[in-house]
Amino acid sequence: MPIIEVNHLTKRYQLGRQLTIKRTLVDMTDRLRGRDVPKPKLFEALHDVNFTINEGEVVGIIGHNGAGKSTLLKMLSRISTPTEGTVRIHGTVAPLIEVGAGLVGDMTGRENIFLNGAIMGVPKAVIKEKFDDIVAFAELEKFVDTPIKRYSSGMQIRLAFAVATSVDPDILIVDEVLAVGDLAFQRKCFDRMERLIKDQGKTVLLVSHNIRQVERLCTRVILMDHGQIVADGDPTEVCNLFYSQNNEKIKAGKTAFSKNQRIHHTGGGEVVRVALQNSSGESVESVEVFKSVRIQVEFDLHEHLDHMVVAASIHTTDFFYLAVFRQDPQVCPPGRYLYEVEIPEMLLLPGVYCISAGLWQGDAHAVIFHGETLLTFTVDPNPERPIYSAFDGIFAMPAERRLSGQAQPANVEAGWGENV
Amino acid sequence: MIQATKTLYQYRELLYTLAWKDVTVRYKQAYLGMAWAILQPLALMLIFTVVRSFVGIETPDGVPYPILTFAALMPWTFFQQSVTNGVSSVVSNTALVRKIYFPREIFPITAVIVKLIDLGFSFIILAGLMVFYRMMPTLHILWVIPILVYAVLMALSVSMLGSAINVYYRDVAAALPLALQLAMYVSPIIYPLSLVHRKLIEQQALGEWSNAVYQLYLLNPLVGLIDGFQRAVLYGKPPEFSTLWPGILTVVVLLTIGYRVFKRAENFFADAI
Repeated sequence: MPIIEVNHLTKRYQLGRQLTIKRTLVDMTDRLRGRDVPKPKLFEALHDVNFTINEGEVVGIIGHNGAGKSTLLKMLSRISTPTEGTVRIHGTVAPLIEVGAGLVGDMTGRENIFLNGAIMGVPKAVIKEKFDDIVAFAELEKFVDTPIKRYSSGMQIRLAFAVATSVDPDILIVDEVLAVGDLAFQRKCFDRMERLIKDQGKTVLLVSHNIRQVERLCTRVILMDHGQIVADGDPTEVCNLFYSQNNEKIKAGKTAFSKNQRIHHTGGGEVVRVALQNSSGESVESVEVFKSVRIQVEFDLHEHLDHMVVAASIHTTDFFYLAVFRQDPQVCPPGRYLYEVEIPEMLLLPGVYCISAGLWQGDAHAVIFHGETLLTFTVDPNPERPIYSAFDGIFAMPAERRLSGQAQPANVEAGWGENV
Repeated sequence: MIQATKTLYQYRELLYTLAWKDVTVRYKQAYLGMAWAILQPLALMLIFTVVRSFVGIETPDGVPYPILTFAALMPWTFFQQSVTNGVSSVVSNTALVRKIYFPREIFPITAVIVKLIDLGFSFIILAGLMVFYRMMPTLHILWVIPILVYAVLMALSVSMLGSAINVYYRDVAAALPLALQLAMYVSPIIYPLSLVHRKLIEQQALGEWSNAVYQLYLLNPLVGLIDGFQRAVLYGKPPEFSTLWPGILTVVVLLTIGYRVFKRAENFFADAI
């Protein structure tokens, strides 16, 4: 039975003009005199959104900034009203839209726990019963009777999260709350969320930019873009779609050599060309998994360097370094050089990657030139050796595999066959 | 309205907690604490008493002027402060409005109810004054209870309307102090109602218009409220219905409009605020 029904939900906001009495009066007189009043520009945050959610489903909502996720949550939690369409909810809703709404600095931690509980709709008796739990979870035993304006921001958020998760509603709506506190506390929050979801069978709506988290917690994921639902279904599939969209977007913005690069140089030399070549020596922008590939870095030196180090590296689009190919120190007179890195087998899984290159001098590795994202390339699936996808990890580690027991090879289904 | 009362009951705990928050926060760092609650009517009483000695306002029936004006200042101060508090209540809770849903009327209602506590404190001063002037309350003092309910509804009607519009036009909160200042002079606070009655009804000071102007004056609900309060507390008489009803009419109309407007505007508070 559906617990949430959303039908043709559309939400428009007025853009620009602030409502003032003067503005209203001027518009009103203009209208009376029969003059045209400029219609306010409208922005459609949500456009004809339809879905139903059944009891016990854990649904993640993902999408870029401005895709309409938070607007949707606001509609579901009744904070805002649809312009068109309907939202039907059968049950009580606890929105954890930004924890910490309604904390009062002048009041003590203890007082704030009761206040926040009341705002969240938790009966006082329940808060009393759970009080020690809440305090212990927030790790604030020593500070419960201190006004929270003296708390650090992390302490405040811990307190708010601890109260928020003691709510016991039919539907839990969570917006980005897990990204609070230090790593250890985030871990704790995550565990608590997971317990709420898995053990208590709650219906949960989760909005997050942490796609891994969404993929892990949810039974279903909705991908939104420009106020519309783009995909809705299996978490892994939808998340992968989102990843590839993201990578497309990054690639599209990266074709020009100069865009979005982070270059740092001191004038002693510079990299003039970075290229990727396949086995037949052609410059390429994509390579298949397990194929050989060559990275070329051409650079000019303007000075004599007696301890020059050159390196090329591969990193993800978000600057997570995967491999660095560094040359031993060399004595180099000024001139043009070509540095080549032969990779016999591309072991990275399909996806978008970038190449950066750098020149250093001396034992202290003083930077002469360092440029990131000098080249963006894709690794494509190899049809001869199909691999699941980029989302099975980052690279194909060579390994011998054995399964003992009475196993028989099964029929190989498409896309799920022999690997590496 | 029935629906409203129902949600109120449902959210009574929140109401209570928010009110308690308002009170604690207000007095947490104030050294004089609750004394501030009674300082305003007390100070105004002293000022009015001094001013009266210059201009000579007649108080016909033997009740000493200071206590008469204090008994007027009590409901007035409650009204003035609760309306000021109430009108800005939604906007001053922006963080909550944008993040959590509960019926928004909780804000003006809390804002008004909180001021009842201040009013409670000024009853102590009133009692002191009554002892000083050797006045005995009669059983009619129980009328104070329905009169206070009336005062709350009155403050609520203005607060609902004002706080809803204030979300869209902040001019409302800006204009409010001036409006309240004017309201104070068209209410029997500095002068007693009996004085107005005598001028307009007995002496027909405005000629043929006198009766109409008097009825118009009574449409100000504060008139009936203050007069009723004074009668119950100081004169030991029940409030006079003929003085009350025009004001009650105003309150009923205002409350209906205010509630409707508030409920309509409520849906867009989060977008507009």
